[in-house]
Amino acid sequence: MEITTLPLSPSVRAKLLSAGYTSFASLSAVSSSHLARDLSISDEEAVAILKVTSQYNTLDRIDGSHSILAGAQTAWDKLHEEKNLRHITTSCEDLDAILGGGINCREITEIGGVPGIGKTQLGIQLAVNVQIPNDFGGLGGKAIYIDTEGSFMVERAFQIAEACIQDTFDNFVFHKNDYEACQEKMQPKAFLANIFYFRICSHTEQVAVINYLDKFITEHKDVKVVIIDSITFHFRQEFDDLALRTRLLGGMALKLMKLAQKYWLAVVLLNQVTTKVTEGSFHLSLALGESWAHACTNRIILYWNGNERYAHIDKSPSLRSASSPFSVTSKGIRCLVSNCKRIKMM
Amino acid sequence: MNEFEPQNLLELPTCKCSLGCPILDRLLDGGIPCNSVTEIVAESGSGKTQLCLQLLLTAQLPVSRGGLNAASIYIHSEFPFPSRRLKQLSSFLLSSSSKDPLDRIFVRAAHTPGELLALLDRAEYLIARSVNDSFPIKLIVIDSIAALFRSEFDNTPTDLKRRSALFFKIGAKLKLQARRFNLAVVVTNQVVDLMGSGDGANGVRVGNYGGLYSSGRRVCPALGLSWASCVNSRVFLSRSDEVVNSGGETEGNVRTRRKMQLVFAPHLPESSFEFVILKEGVFGVS
Repeated sequence: MEITTLPLSPSVRAKLLSAGYTSFASLSAVSSSHLARDLSISDEEAVAILKVTSQYNTLDRIDGSHSILAGAQTAWDKLHEEKNLRHITTSCEDLDAILGGGINCREITEIGGVPGIGKTQLGIQLAVNVQIPNDFGGLGGKAIYIDTEGSFMVERAFQIAEACIQDTFDNFVFHKNDYEACQEKMQPKAFLANIFYFRICSHTEQVAVINYLDKFITEHKDVKVVIIDSITFHFRQEFDDLALRTRLLGGMALKLMKLAQKYWLAVVLLNQVTTKVTEGSFHLSLALGESWAHACTNRIILYWNGNERYAHIDKSPSLRSASSPFSVTSKGIRCLVSNCKRIKMM
Repeated sequence: MNEFEPQNLLELPTCKCSLGCPILDRLLDGGIPCNSVTEIVAESGSGKTQLCLQLLLTAQLPVSRGGLNAASIYIHSEFPFPSRRLKQLSSFLLSSSSKDPLDRIFVRAAHTPGELLALLDRAEYLIARSVNDSFPIKLIVIDSIAALFRSEFDNTPTDLKRRSALFFKIGAKLKLQARRFNLAVVVTNQVVDLMGSGDGANGVRVGNYGGLYSSGRRVCPALGLSWASCVNSRVFLSRSDEVVNSGGETEGNVRTRRKMQLVFAPHLPESSFEFVILKEGVFGVS
């Protein structure tokens, strides 16, 4: 059993973790005064923590769960947890609707499409939107942006942040004092400063930085989204050993999945498309092949339909397959203006 | 000390290299971005090389005039290097005070992908050494990438796979150098004609336009989807010849209308306008 499963307030949990109390065992031997000193909290609070811990310990014993099952949850618990899951809005209501509210936390979402369809735009939009404060229905988190292709443009991020702040203010009614306080806090520059930007120039660097993320996020607990733009680029160069490539990609996906679960954050991977020829006819498919297709929880494909951009949910364990139009405007990702109500359910 | 420190976006350099014409610069919001790979696609005779030559010169302009105050590397694979045209352009684009602008342009030919990669390796030393010069190298132009791949590859699955792996290798190397030295990288590309209804792998829509037209034919950039995934921005130049009756008399003049279209770019919306090629250089028409 880990501390994170205890019904304690996040601040207390954070204190425990940073003081090195990560497991039940570490708490069972400690006295309340000792704990109070370690966490620099009052004795009463320390007693309360130990009380909760011992309750859970006895509960465990009553259930008769063995150590091998420690940490296991029932499906009921899972469902309850899922209800509390947060989403990161895409700024396009149609797209949010088919995604069930936006990009899910604790999951890996892969987004693919042809060059120029708006993958990077969506990536930047999510890095900005994750920062919308809690009071405005956002997550109030920070973003990690791993740029493997060099397509992240600061001027564009600034533009999108500016528009996002403007829209947030427009949609909420304020008391005058609140407004001024928020306006001071929500500046495009502050939004940019909350995007941790890593530029990666080879696949070895990419693997290394993903290994490093766990450490980085323990130091920056408010990171709520990790965006990799794109996961593919450095893996499409000469890879003589395709088995190695598959192993590297698989390992990377596994680590990202663990991060998503551990820190309750969303992982968004952008992918390129490639043409696949089967029996003389060709079709587009996302790069990196069959085994990679299993690595992500959700898969969204962006495509052109006439002159309109569409997003299609290609794979998801919980969402129904659906498409919705979206557009890329000067403000970022938005609804298609001409036909706001045209979600196709299939 | 950890080598993976996230970068502060507010401190990231975002310089651009002017094209030497305010209207053209408006299309690209200031010019060709550094730390990025920009592709110029067009059929032959549309002004790709003209635009590249112009860039080699505007890069030498001081930063206050939109340039990079920099020298450049020009790798050509198609024509012999048009040095006379460059000389002519330099007299118009750069003030007479700048001494020997042609000395700040390093020219080399490459004819195969292997040669290009080897050249880029060596260029790295050259660039690294120039960092403290009064004119450091800040621009690489490759004219054109398509010509390198014209002969060596068959239309078989193995060859196509080898080819696309090379695209990514070249793309990654260019981006690495662009990042390390904050270079602007410009690559030109040819077009291929689209036959029939525009189906097939080349008919896949890439970017802001459903179809690209030049000289009245439907065309698409060469080298396919893989290469398109290797560049950050793509600009398309096209031409169309028009018969203009001057004064309504029997004699008809042929006038070439040239258009520049932004196919995709991470920082810019779709836009397009006409341009002309004059003796003095390439200019936008408002």
